Amino acid sequence: MTPIGTPAGTPIVNTAGLRYDADGAAQSTSSNTVTIIVAERLDVALVRDGQGAIVVTAQPVAIPFTLTNLDNGAEAFTLAASVSPGMATLRTLVIDTDGDGRYDPAKDVAPVDGKTPLLSPGQSIKLLAILVATPEGGATNAVLTVTARSTTGSGATGNVYPSAGDGGGDAVVGPTGALATVSVPLGTALAGPVLLKSQSVRAADGSQTAVRDAVITYTLEARFTDAVTGARIADPIPVGTVFVPGSLSLDGAPLSDGADDDAGRFDPSTAQGAGVTVALGRVAAGSSHTVQFKAKIQ
Amino acid sequence: MITRPMTSAVLVATAAAASAAAGPLQVSSSILVEARSAAADGTTRVTLVKPTKVTPGDKVIFVLAYRNSGAQPLANVVLDNPLPRQIAYRSANPGSPAPDVSVDGKTYGSLATLRVRSPDGSTRAASPNDVTSVRWRLASPLAAGSQGQFAFQAVLK
Repeated sequence: MTPIGTPAGTPIVNTAGLRYDADGAAQSTSSNTVTIIVAERLDVALVRDGQGAIVVTAQPVAIPFTLTNLDNGAEAFTLAASVSPGMATLRTLVIDTDGDGRYDPAKDVAPVDGKTPLLSPGQSIKLLAILVATPEGGATNAVLTVTARSTTGSGATGNVYPSAGDGGGDAVVGPTGALATVSVPLGTALAGPVLLKSQSVRAADGSQTAVRDAVITYTLEARFTDAVTGARIADPIPVGTVFVPGSLSLDGAPLSDGADDDAGRFDPSTAQGAGVTVALGRVAAGSSHTVQFKAKIQ
Repeated sequence: MITRPMTSAVLVATAAAASAAAGPLQVSSSILVEARSAAADGTTRVTLVKPTKVTPGDKVIFVLAYRNSGAQPLANVVLDNPLPRQIAYRSANPGSPAPDVSVDGKTYGSLATLRVRSPDGSTRAASPNDVTSVRWRLASPLAAGSQGQFAFQAVLK
């Protein structure tokens, strides 16, 4: 983490000393004293404690976050939380007073006017977003978004709020933009990647009849609730069909059949016979990727 | 944009300059920052200006401008500048002679010649962050009416 640095409002005072000989006598004196006041750098960090998708049920679930004042001055932060329409409803966003990660309605209350108390430089507090499943809300995954914004100001790095800093100096927006946002994927079932396979048939006569020489388009949609690395989709070509060369694609972009530097390949002789493989590598939480390929009925 | 800290710095400087006017050697200390602007020929022009918004990590330039306002030459002129403790030394400013530096306020030399003693008694080579004071000596007497300046770059901790 970036060191917080000299507190806003600190006077930096400089005086040089000087010595010289005049008429054979040593003299000493000093320069003027120059003073500058350290400006306030507005910066904030908000991170979720834990990772992976959250399973939301009829029982309230608490999602913990840590808010850190990266400002070199005392700062309060405006908090906001929202859930995209779907299966989950946001009950409240509270300050976890004792920081135990558990929701205690008697002590953990929503901040007044949506603002935290003043936090000293480097100070962290814990937040809890309390969610419940929406009755009849369906199974559509939702996303919880929590933001924290410096009350003094935010925006482009380098923006200046004159005389708004602690100690009477300026306040300047730091590298974080004085705004932090965290998104959390929400689901109704246990977290884990899901692979959905579907197919469509198109025969030479334009019908959807599975006859000889009809072409089947296979669609494999991989949904990831968590961020993972090394993700890979492999699918054998069904018995009785042959792969249509050049038909493999990932998220709509064509992939060559050869074992080259793109993500996909067609291999005529895997352990399960001919098959396609697509390496997704590192995937983001809450993302989905679609692989398509075609096979002709023999 | 005029802000309160800048105004107060100017007032302090003016008051102190008046009190220092007694001696023949006048030294004006200032803390400046680099301002970059695009010149007409497409190059970037760097000027030194009074700071309005120094935050931790920012580069600042300490400038000591000296002048012999007396009628006699001054010999053995030494300027020394103990660093404010929130300031980390970096280097001489381009165009300025390099100062001798010190990590203990007693021994001065080039940074490469200095070592820092650790609590366990061992020593290591000094780094710019260890510097606590800088010093310049004028090799020859400063003639009446002549002037010059020294400058070094530093970072606000």
